[in-house]
Amino acid sequence: MTDQRTTTRDDAGWIEQALERHESALVAYAARITGDVDTARDVVQETYLKLCHARREAVEPQLAEWLFTVCRHAAIDLRRKLGRAGANEGFDMAEIEGSAEIETREEGARALQLLARLPGSQREVLRLRFEGGLTYKEIARVTHQSIGNVGWLIHMGLKSLRAQLAGDAVEGTVQ
Amino acid sequence: MVAKWDFDADDARLSAYALGELEEAEREEVEALLARNPEARAFVQGLRDTVAALEKGFSAQSSPGLTDAQRTSILATTARPVRRVWPRYAAAAGLAVSAAAGAAAWMWNRDTSKELALGAEKRASYADVARARKSSLRDLEGLGYTGSSGYAAANKPATLKAEMEPAQNPAATLAPDVVYVGRVGATPGLSVVDSDRLADDPNVPRLEAADDFTSEAYAPIVENPFRRTRDEPRSTFSVDVDTASYANVRRFLVAGQLPPPGAVRIEELVNYFRYDYAAPEGSVPFSVTTDTSACPWNPSHVLMRIGLQGRTVAQHERNASNLVFLVDVSGSMDSPDKLPLVVSSLQMLARELDARDRIAVVVYAGASGLVLDSTSIRARSAVLDALERLQAGGSTNGGEGIRLAYEVARRNLVPGGTNRVILCTDGDFNVGVTSQDELLALIEEQRKSGVFLTVLGFGTGNLKDSTMEMLADKGNGNYAYVDGVREARKVLVEELGGTLEVIAKDVKLQIELNPAEVQAWRLVGYENRVLAHQDFADDAKDAGEIGAGHTVTALYELVPVGVPFEAPESGELRYREPAGESPAAFTGEVAFLQLRYKEPEDSESRLLSHPIVRATGEASVDSRFASAVAMFAMKLRGSPHVAEVAWADIERLASGSLGRDERGYRVEFLDLIRRASELQR
Repeated sequence: MTDQRTTTRDDAGWIEQALERHESALVAYAARITGDVDTARDVVQETYLKLCHARREAVEPQLAEWLFTVCRHAAIDLRRKLGRAGANEGFDMAEIEGSAEIETREEGARALQLLARLPGSQREVLRLRFEGGLTYKEIARVTHQSIGNVGWLIHMGLKSLRAQLAGDAVEGTVQ
Repeated sequence: MVAKWDFDADDARLSAYALGELEEAEREEVEALLARNPEARAFVQGLRDTVAALEKGFSAQSSPGLTDAQRTSILATTARPVRRVWPRYAAAAGLAVSAAAGAAAWMWNRDTSKELALGAEKRASYADVARARKSSLRDLEGLGYTGSSGYAAANKPATLKAEMEPAQNPAATLAPDVVYVGRVGATPGLSVVDSDRLADDPNVPRLEAADDFTSEAYAPIVENPFRRTRDEPRSTFSVDVDTASYANVRRFLVAGQLPPPGAVRIEELVNYFRYDYAAPEGSVPFSVTTDTSACPWNPSHVLMRIGLQGRTVAQHERNASNLVFLVDVSGSMDSPDKLPLVVSSLQMLARELDARDRIAVVVYAGASGLVLDSTSIRARSAVLDALERLQAGGSTNGGEGIRLAYEVARRNLVPGGTNRVILCTDGDFNVGVTSQDELLALIEEQRKSGVFLTVLGFGTGNLKDSTMEMLADKGNGNYAYVDGVREARKVLVEELGGTLEVIAKDVKLQIELNPAEVQAWRLVGYENRVLAHQDFADDAKDAGEIGAGHTVTALYELVPVGVPFEAPESGELRYREPAGESPAAFTGEVAFLQLRYKEPEDSESRLLSHPIVRATGEASVDSRFASAVAMFAMKLRGSPHVAEVAWADIERLASGSLGRDERGYRVEFLDLIRRASELQR
């Protein structure tokens, strides 16, 4: 149960829980911005180090949003410093893994493969939603756009994935 | 016939529905559509299958996490000794609170154990975690927490005094703040926060409580997000000259605690200090100063400052005043930092007044009463004596006291003069008018008589910050927190003119950002003062007052065009074309400021306007200091925008911009930065 006398151990504990919950999603997310996993790892490590120095009681109620916001800032910043392509459009790097064009019958893998071909803006919100577990509202705040716009991008993404998964090539073109 | 909603495969609500993101009303609309339209049903089923496929894909995907070395280095950072700040949420809580806390703890542990059980070989998949997170939210909602977003999960249950003694004090359970604790909706007829502006945000009306300050109540603040200029070119808000939050934050820090995040209102911290704005000229009661400089917490961004300076009124030019001191003498006020401080503060004020002025004293406790009918200050010693004799005891009938005080003020109304009720309390209004709505309605009604309100907050342990701020907001008033004699002197002597004498009322600002110069913007602070754009020109809509000599400062963080910014293009919006710019967009202006205000006696507003151009050159001393204060506040609030900023950076910026600082307030601020940095290690 929540002991009132929280100790040092619990302070480490909440960071550990924050790692358990979000670390992999953050690395995968950052990698789509920086273009490679190693840089993404540095970004995420940096993000968690900042978390260690933030006010727990202020950050905890908005933990996911906080982590993705800080991580996104750092990733875009780093990409700019490294002078990589797409420095001006948030989420526009090619997908990393899964970019191997092996057709697969397995539905889940196929969905990810199709996801990789969507426009960057749709891909980003879908990843934040399904990989990061964020709500529309949190995604809106992390990506600095309106909730309506987030809803629209998610819908367009899901709609084209749906059409393609159903093998409906006619409707399946990205709008 | 009501037009029925037709199936449209491009309607984003269908995905939002499949993902459980819709509010009840829209959800019902979609369900009705699905019930009558098989095509829509098939389409939504397809979306659900797609969602399932994505979840499956993500959960099967092996994703690289951090390396073990990286993880270890992070955890090593947390292993240093940490001073806990205000951990004991559940300590003094009653049944309802413990139940909520227990459930929250259970959910947390459950998720963790699930993940731990999977251990090193196989970490829980993202989708699992995401789902677990969602279901935890539902668990919490089942307990009566409203709100559908992720904030609910970690929101701490509040511990409020009234919860601890429901039996002795049935009315206490109706105290407005208590509604937030685990039982929203359980008590019919009670609604929580009046404000239309807050109503659309499910996160706002939940209170947080502060540790040792067991029954203090603060409304959480959700920081204003960045907005893209093309989506949202305007920003509209009401001025706020309150300074209570600064004194309250200082009280926490001096007592060796970090303040709860909801106690930190950025604009009130910034406005606590005087800035050297030009004096107003001509008939307009205040001057407007704007400048821009590099944003200190993000140098590629621009910080835009808007400053208003109210006309000062010399002591001999001051209007005759009719003041009613309304003093809470309930049992909770019986503490050295409360009633005795109230008495010495009001005596300090009475000594500043002169033969033109009148004072009455009304108290409220179990019953309210007129202690001293309106008396000319010529009989100053009678006033001082009446104050001296005040004693604490009894429970609080705030509503009755407010009614009586306004009645006395109206009876002695000085036309064209200063007519004001000065309420001194720790904020408990638990007998009589009980719901916050009723109390606010009462204040709004009384406001129409032309009587203004000053709320002075006192004491620790029971402070109802949120109630008092709202009272002042609704009652054409200002709100200060008095944490000692020094603060009383600042509010009631040094800034007496500003506290008593209104020079402009219903002051609203509307800033239009220029999309050719600014790609995104964020208003720093003023979260609970944001207005709907259409209310700007609506003179029936209330807004903040400016007192004589008051300064008001607002800061905007702007992202200039050309700076990499991670907001996606909204060219994919269905109904909107990228808007063309008018010729004014290419004048180099970053923004256009419009301001509406009313003269104190008027009911029609006047309009001022002022283009803002981007300045070049160094930031002024005041601008640097104001931004240091804003950073300090954001850091206390855990804002992600200052995640990179260290306390030492803030201290450096502030100590390099002390200016003249005649009264030493800025130096005192340096001390608060040091205290905060020591507490948050």
